[in-house]
Amino acid sequence: MSQCRVEIDKDLCQGHGVCESEAPRIFKVTEGDSAYPQAQILIEPIPENQKALAKKAARYCPNGAITVVELDE
Amino acid sequence: MTSSAAFKPIPMVSGGRAGTGHFEEFVTTPIEFLHRAYAECGELAEFDMGGLHTVLMVGPDAHEAFFRAPDEQLNAAAAYQMMVPVFGEGVQYGAEPGIERQQLRIQYQGLKHDRMINYAGVVAREVEDFIQGWGDEGVLDFYQAFTDLTLKTSTHCLLGSEFRYRLTDEFADLYRDLEKGIDPSALLDPTQQKESFQKRDQARARLEELITEAVRSRREGGVEHNDMLQIYMDATYEDGSKLTDHEITGMVIWFMFAGHHTSSNTSAWTLLEIARHPQYLAELTAEVDRLHAQEGELSLKALREIPLLEGFIREALRLHPPLNAISRRVLKDFIYKEHLIEAGKNVMLCPHVSHQLPEYFPDPARFDPKRPQPENVFAAIPFGGGKRKCVGNAFALLQVKAIFCALLSRYQFELCAEPESYREVMPALILRPSDPCLLRYRRRGDGKPDERKMP
Repeated sequence: MSQCRVEIDKDLCQGHGVCESEAPRIFKVTEGDSAYPQAQILIEPIPENQKALAKKAARYCPNGAITVVELDE
Repeated sequence: MTSSAAFKPIPMVSGGRAGTGHFEEFVTTPIEFLHRAYAECGELAEFDMGGLHTVLMVGPDAHEAFFRAPDEQLNAAAAYQMMVPVFGEGVQYGAEPGIERQQLRIQYQGLKHDRMINYAGVVAREVEDFIQGWGDEGVLDFYQAFTDLTLKTSTHCLLGSEFRYRLTDEFADLYRDLEKGIDPSALLDPTQQKESFQKRDQARARLEELITEAVRSRREGGVEHNDMLQIYMDATYEDGSKLTDHEITGMVIWFMFAGHHTSSNTSAWTLLEIARHPQYLAELTAEVDRLHAQEGELSLKALREIPLLEGFIREALRLHPPLNAISRRVLKDFIYKEHLIEAGKNVMLCPHVSHQLPEYFPDPARFDPKRPQPENVFAAIPFGGGKRKCVGNAFALLQVKAIFCALLSRYQFELCAEPESYREVMPALILRPSDPCLLRYRRRGDGKPDERKMP
């Protein structure tokens, strides 16, 4: 079974929270120093059973800030 | 200053006049001018805005460099001083960067995911009010109609029902006077003596009276509300101080401007393109009917799964982007590829130009609601990008989708004139359809819409 990890482009993330809503075990939106809150990654690599949720989070992110990277076995 | 000797020169657009440069051409025909600049010079094109040298940057690479540059290098506030008289001193670009950052955080409260989930239903109910009394068919100016509708929907969602039902004709007129105070000449000097700027300042002052009165009566009433006005009233800066009434007024105007323009224009263009492309009508109405059959009240998640309607909206935003002079002031020398853009100049992006690059949008002039989105996230930039991207972009799409789900479930639309007579005009730095924007609406004859209850 292949695993994956996720990347968040912090220049693009504005903390909309769609990722946290789709995949709360992978993403958490937290306040930081910047104007908007930003998503943080909670687990890495992403377990197989969470992969579909990670992809959904990437697909629906309004800013296109999330990339799902497949890891070699 | 960085030595310019080692860098490649940036081509200058032809036709600049002594003294004013290209300013008059930009003011008169901004879109045509920026297309000409790109056609002549390519990725980077320099022109002279009456002494303010500006470099137009075109294409995803250029957009990415622009959006990833820090504010200390490419500065938004210095480039958008024309908004200061509209929002007020001490608000957004009229505030220190640290204050602006805290104000953005406060504004963001209205766009949080847990608030957004309620907005689709609010929009649908406003559309229901909007179409009351339409009858079976008629003709409307849909640019005006959508301006009125989205002022109500944006206000209702973002500022709450109390504010929405205080939205008197006076308020709407003042808001329009503020809008008219933003024109291309404000780019150079927003404080010059001219009638539209005087009206803008009078409108800003009167709005402050009205909003201050609303705040005062709410404080006296002692009842807490779950809306943005309450958030502004309760918010504190990091030093513990509260927003002044002047700042609260500015925050309200800022929020309304941000939530309204793009939605009203995008709605008008989406409707025009739906009417211009009747070959998609059956598929589009089937998509909307299917959604209504599955869902009671439209949900945020359901509205994500309407690909053809979303394709119409995205193509409307691609071919008719509302904002076409996304600007920054260069505070520190900026190097892009082998070019140097010196401090003191402006850099500008124009979505209308970039959205027609055939490498990213094949056959770019063709309206194609089934066009795949480009993989490069910096190719389509109707809402800007990077840290300063319009944070209301998701709200805007949600709002326009909810409007069309409600409208298309009841009515069909036809143009009242030749398709090419609906032109693009840009009188106040915002691209919109020309007047009159007349379309005929006709109640759907297939019986389906009446089987369903509006939320």
